Amino acid sequence: MNFDIFPNAPTPIYRQIVEQVRRLVASGQMRPGDDLPSVRVVALHHAINPMTVSKAYSLLETEGLLERRRGVGMVIAKSMSKSSRQDKLALLQPTLLSAAQVTRELGISDAQAMAAFQTCLNEWTPKETP
Amino acid sequence: MKPNDAVIQVSDLSLYIDTTILDHINLSIPRGAVVGLVGRNGAGKSTLLRCMVGLTEPTQGAAKLLGCPALDLSDPVRERLGYVAQTPDLFEWMEVHEHLRAIGRAYPRWNEERCLVLACRLGLPMGGRVKNLSVGDQQKLAVVLALAHDPDVLLLDEPVSNLDPMTRNEFMRSLFVDRRLGEETDERGVLDAERTIVISSHLLSDLERVVSHVAFIRQGRLQLFEAWDAMLEHFRLIPQPGSDLPRAAVVCQNPAAAQCVIDTRLAPVWADKGRALSLDELFMELNS
Repeated sequence: MNFDIFPNAPTPIYRQIVEQVRRLVASGQMRPGDDLPSVRVVALHHAINPMTVSKAYSLLETEGLLERRRGVGMVIAKSMSKSSRQDKLALLQPTLLSAAQVTRELGISDAQAMAAFQTCLNEWTPKETP
Repeated sequence: MKPNDAVIQVSDLSLYIDTTILDHINLSIPRGAVVGLVGRNGAGKSTLLRCMVGLTEPTQGAAKLLGCPALDLSDPVRERLGYVAQTPDLFEWMEVHEHLRAIGRAYPRWNEERCLVLACRLGLPMGGRVKNLSVGDQQKLAVVLALAHDPDVLLLDEPVSNLDPMTRNEFMRSLFVDRRLGEETDERGVLDAERTIVISSHLLSDLERVVSHVAFIRQGRLQLFEAWDAMLEHFRLIPQPGSDLPRAAVVCQNPAAAQCVIDTRLAPVWADKGRALSLDELFMELNS
C-alpha cells in the first residue's frame, strides 16, 4: 500500500498521512498487526522529506493507533478495537462541515442540500475488494 | 557544539555595497531543518547564502556554521559542508568523471559509490568535457559534487532551476537518501544523523515537498522564518478586516487587493473566516 499525498494541497503533508491512516483503520481496511510502509519507502515514493513521514507516524504512535516493532517498523496497534460508530461519525464531521459551509455560502436550502447528499449516497457504490 | 545549538547562526548580519543588500538579518537554523529560502530576484538570497559559507564578508554582524565563524571555517567543518553556487565554478576543461575524481580527492569522506549512484540517479553524462555540458547537466554535476561527501550541512543556491520535473524529484530524493539514519554518533557522542539543508529556489511547489521551514526575504530583510506546517495550519488569507483584529496577528497586508494574511494563533476567533495559502500564494502576498 501507499498513501495518496498531495504536496501542494493546503493541508500539511504529515496531516494528510495521519488522516489517511485514521480512515484506513476506522474503515477496517487496515487491521491490528498490519504493517505500514517504512518511512524511507513513503519518502522516496513521493519525493518528500522523511522527517515529515516520521512526524506523522510518531503522532499516530502517541495516539495509540500505531505501535513500533523492532526490526519490523510501524504496525497498527493490537489494542485498537474495531472503531465505534462514534469514531466513524467523528471522521465524517469535517467533510460535512465544509459541505455545510458551501451550502450556506451559496444560499442553497436545507432541503435541497439534504436531497443532494442523499443522491450522492445513492450513487456511491463501494469499490469491490478482492 | 551542543545538540540544541543552531547549525547555522546568523546574527545581526548586514551588508552594504553602495546600497543596503542585507539588512540586520538574524536567523537560527536548527539541526535537521530543511529551510526554503525564498524571495524575489535581487532580494539577497544568494548573498545571504554566500555569507553563511564565508564567501562574502558582511559589513556588520556574523554567520556561524556548526559553531565555527563562517569567515574562518576549520577543515573539519569544511569537510562537513556542501555548497552549490547559483553559477557553479566548474573545471570546464576536464571530463565529467575526471572532475568528480579531482574533487573527490579533496574530501576524506568522499564516497565513490555514492557519487556514481547519485550521478546515475540524476542522469549526469559521465563522458565528455564539462564545458560542453548543457546548463542543466552542469547543474547536476554541481549537485553531485556537493552531495557525494555526505555533508551534514548543505547550502544550495537555485540548484534545480534548469532541471526537468522528473530530475527535480530525483534531486529531492537524493537530498535524504544514504543518511546514516539515527545510528551513528560523532566524537562527542552526539547523535548526528540529520542533514541540515538550506535551499533557495523559485520553484515553490518543489520546496513544499521537502521543507521543514521557510525563510522569506525581501529587500535584504528577513520577513518571516517559521515551520512550514505551522504556516499552513495557522496562516489564513482574509478580506481586509475591521478594527477588531489584533494588530499583532497581521502577517502582511495587501491594500490593493483588500486582503491580508493573519496568524490565527494570535486571533483564534478569525480561524474560520479565511482560507489556507499555498507557498506560492503566501509568497505573492508577502511581496505585494
